[in-house]
Amino acid sequence: MNPEFRRNIWLELSPRRLITMTAVLVLAFFAAALSGTEWLPSTTAVLIYYFIVVFWGTRNAALSVVGEIRERTWDFQRLSALGAGEMTWGKLFGSTIFNWYGGAICLVVILAYRIAHDGAVAGLISLVYFVVIGLIAQSAALLSSLIAAMRRQRHTQLEVFAYQVIGIVAALFAYDVWKMADPAGSIGGRLRPTDYIPWWGQSFDARAFLLTSLALFAGWTLLGCYRAMRLELKMPNGPFVWLAFLAFMGVYVAGFDAWLPKNGAISVRDAVALRLALAGTTFAILTYIMVLLEPKDRVLYRWMGSELARAHFGRIAWSLQGWMMSCKAAFIVGICLIVWLVNENAAPAAAFVGSGLGFLLRDVGIFILLQTLPGPRRGDFAAVVTLFALYVLAPAIADGLGLKQALVVFYPQASTPVWLSPAVAWAEAIAVAGLTIGRLASGAKQAAATPAAA
Amino acid sequence: MIEVRDLVYEYPNKRALDGVSLTVAPKTITALVGPNGAGKTTLLRCLAALEPPYSGSVTIDGLDTREAPRRIHERLGYLPDFYGLYDELTVRRVLTYAAWSHGLAPALASAAVEKAAARVALVGRLETKAGELSRGLRQRLAIGQAIVHEPKVVLLDEPAAGLDPQARRDLSTLLLQLRDAGMTLVVSSHILAELEDYCSTMIIVDDGHVVGGKPIKVRDDERPRYLLELAAARSDLKQFLLAAGIDVIETGDHHGLFTFTRNPSARAKLIRDLVKAGFDVASFAESTRAIEDTYFAQVRDKAS
Repeated sequence: MNPEFRRNIWLELSPRRLITMTAVLVLAFFAAALSGTEWLPSTTAVLIYYFIVVFWGTRNAALSVVGEIRERTWDFQRLSALGAGEMTWGKLFGSTIFNWYGGAICLVVILAYRIAHDGAVAGLISLVYFVVIGLIAQSAALLSSLIAAMRRQRHTQLEVFAYQVIGIVAALFAYDVWKMADPAGSIGGRLRPTDYIPWWGQSFDARAFLLTSLALFAGWTLLGCYRAMRLELKMPNGPFVWLAFLAFMGVYVAGFDAWLPKNGAISVRDAVALRLALAGTTFAILTYIMVLLEPKDRVLYRWMGSELARAHFGRIAWSLQGWMMSCKAAFIVGICLIVWLVNENAAPAAAFVGSGLGFLLRDVGIFILLQTLPGPRRGDFAAVVTLFALYVLAPAIADGLGLKQALVVFYPQASTPVWLSPAVAWAEAIAVAGLTIGRLASGAKQAAATPAAA
Repeated sequence: MIEVRDLVYEYPNKRALDGVSLTVAPKTITALVGPNGAGKTTLLRCLAALEPPYSGSVTIDGLDTREAPRRIHERLGYLPDFYGLYDELTVRRVLTYAAWSHGLAPALASAAVEKAAARVALVGRLETKAGELSRGLRQRLAIGQAIVHEPKVVLLDEPAAGLDPQARRDLSTLLLQLRDAGMTLVVSSHILAELEDYCSTMIIVDDGHVVGGKPIKVRDDERPRYLLELAAARSDLKQFLLAAGIDVIETGDHHGLFTFTRNPSARAKLIRDLVKAGFDVASFAESTRAIEDTYFAQVRDKAS
C-alpha cells in the first residue's frame, strides 16, 4: 500500500472516529426521517455530504501539504523515494479518507433514494456527480496549497482558509454548471436550465456533456496536483502537459461560439474568427492566472537568460513556466486571428486584437517588473493594484474629463486612425519589457557582488 | 562519493554559494563549519538535491542532483537543522513509514526498523508516541528515520544542537558506527569541540566560498596531530622541527603543532632529540583540538 496513504490511515481512521462518524450520521438521517417530508433523509444526506466532503474535505486536502510544512516534516517527505504520483494520491485521498468515509455513508442514502425514485441510470449519474464534485473541490484546494508552497508563502490559518475557499469555489462552479442539467431538479444554481448544449456546431445531451466536462476538469485538476507535486519534489515537468492542457482548453472553449453574441467587440460574424477569438482569450486569461499564481523567480529568469545566451534552448524549454507558454499560445492564435481578419477586410477588428496582444505583454511585464522591485512579497499585490488603476481608475478619470481618445493608452480600444491603439499598446509593452529586462540584469550583477554573509 | 564542481547558488538579492568545489571521500565523516550565514545550510540543501544549482554541478554517488534528484533521495538521509516528527505516531510507526517511503519492502522494513531503533537506542520505546519523547530522544528518532533505509550518504545539519553532554557523546558514537557501517557523513555544526570526536575532514565555508579552496584533513589515524609545549621560550623551534622533516602546522615560542607518526619509538626518539637540542619539553601529546586549531588557523590566514 502507498506509504503516505497508509500513514494517513493511521492518523485519520481510528476506531473511535469511525464509530463516532457512523453514529452521528445515522442519528442525523433518523432525525430527518422523523421530522417530516421537507427534510427527507436523502436531502439531509446531500447537505451533509457537501459539508463533509466539500467543506471539511477541502480543509484537510489543503492541510495535507501545508501541515507538513508547518510541522517541519515536508523536507523529510520531499527526500523520500515516493514518486510524485504516489505522494499526490497518498495525500489527496489519505488526508481526506475520513471525509470520504462519511461521504460514502451519505452516498448510500442519496443513491438509495435516487434509484428508488428515478431509476438506476439517475443513481449512477448522481454517484459520478457527487464523486467528481468532491474530487474537484479537494484537488483544487490541494493544488492551490501546492502552488502556495512553491511560492514559499507563510501558511497562516488565514491562508489555509483561502486554499479551502478556492476548493469550495471550484465546487460551487461545478455545482452551478451541473444544475443546468440536473435530472433531480435545482436546489440553487444561477445558469439557465437546458437539455442540449451546442458545441462545435453540434447539439449534445446536456447531462452527458456537462458530466463529461466536469470529469475532464477534475482530471486536469488532479494532473495539476501531480505536476505541482513533481516541482516540489524537484522533478522537472517539461512543457508537454501544459501545452496539451492549452490545446484542450483552446478546443473546448472555441466550441462555444454559438453562445456568443454576433456583434461583439471585434465585430465579426464568421465562426472561424469567433473560435480563434475564444481560444485566444482563453489563453490570455490563463496567462493572467498563471503569471499571478506562479512564483516569479528572479533567479530562474536570470538563469534562463544565461542559458538563452548559450543557446541551450532544450534546457529552457524544460523550465518554461505556465504563463510563458500560455502567453506564446495567445500570441500565436492572436496573430492567426489578425491575418484572418485582414483577409476578411476587417482592419479595425485586427487592430483591436493587435492592441490586445500589446496590452497582454505590457501587463505580464508589470507582474515581473514589480517582482524585481524592493519588497518582493508585495509584488503581486502591487501588480494587481497597478492593473486595476490602468484598467478601471485611470480610464474612469479620463472618461470623466472627456478625454475619450486617451483611453487607447489604457486598454484595447477602437481608435482613429486604426493603427493608433496597437501602436500605443506595443510602445507601452516594449517600454515595460525593457525596464523588466534591465532590472533583471542589474539584479544579477547585484547578486553576484553580494556574498552570502552580507 | 560527493563531488561538487563550481557550484553557484543564488537567492534573488545575494549569491549564497560562489564557485564551491569539493570532494568527499566515501566512508568518512566530514565537518561543515563556518560562521552564521556563511552558506552551510544552503550547501547541505544543494547536496540533498533540495535546491538546484544556479550553475555548476553536484554529484552524489555518481548521480547529478539536477538530473536525478529522486534517485539521489533514495540514497540519502538528511536531518535538517529544524525538523519535525509525526507526534501522533509511535516510534515504530515513524520508523516504519520512513522505511516504506524510502522504498523498503514491507518484509524488509520490519527488520530495518528494529535495526535503526537499536542504533539510536530506542528499542525500549518503540510503542511510545513521538510526541511524548524528550528532546534528546526526539533527536535520536529523527536520526533514526534518516538512516532507517541504510543510505549511502547522511547529511546532518546541527545534529547536536540542544543535546546534553551524554546525548552528545552517544551521538558521536552513533556517527562513528554509521561510518564504520559504510556510510558517508557530512555534519554541519557550530560547536567545533563536538566535531573533534568523529570528524576526519573539515570544510570551512565562509562568504559562500570554501576557505582554502578544498576540504582539510584534520585527523589521520596514521599521522595524528601532536602538540608540543615548552617550559622556556625558543624561537628556533620551527627550524628544528622542519630540519627533522616534520610537517609543521603551527609554531610559537612556547609551542608547536605538527603531524607525526603514531609509532612510539619514533615519538620517543623525537623527544630525546628535542631534549638533546636543549628544548625544555613540558608536554608532548596528541592534540585533542585538531578541528578548532585548524579552523582558527585557516580563518586567521584568510583574515591576513
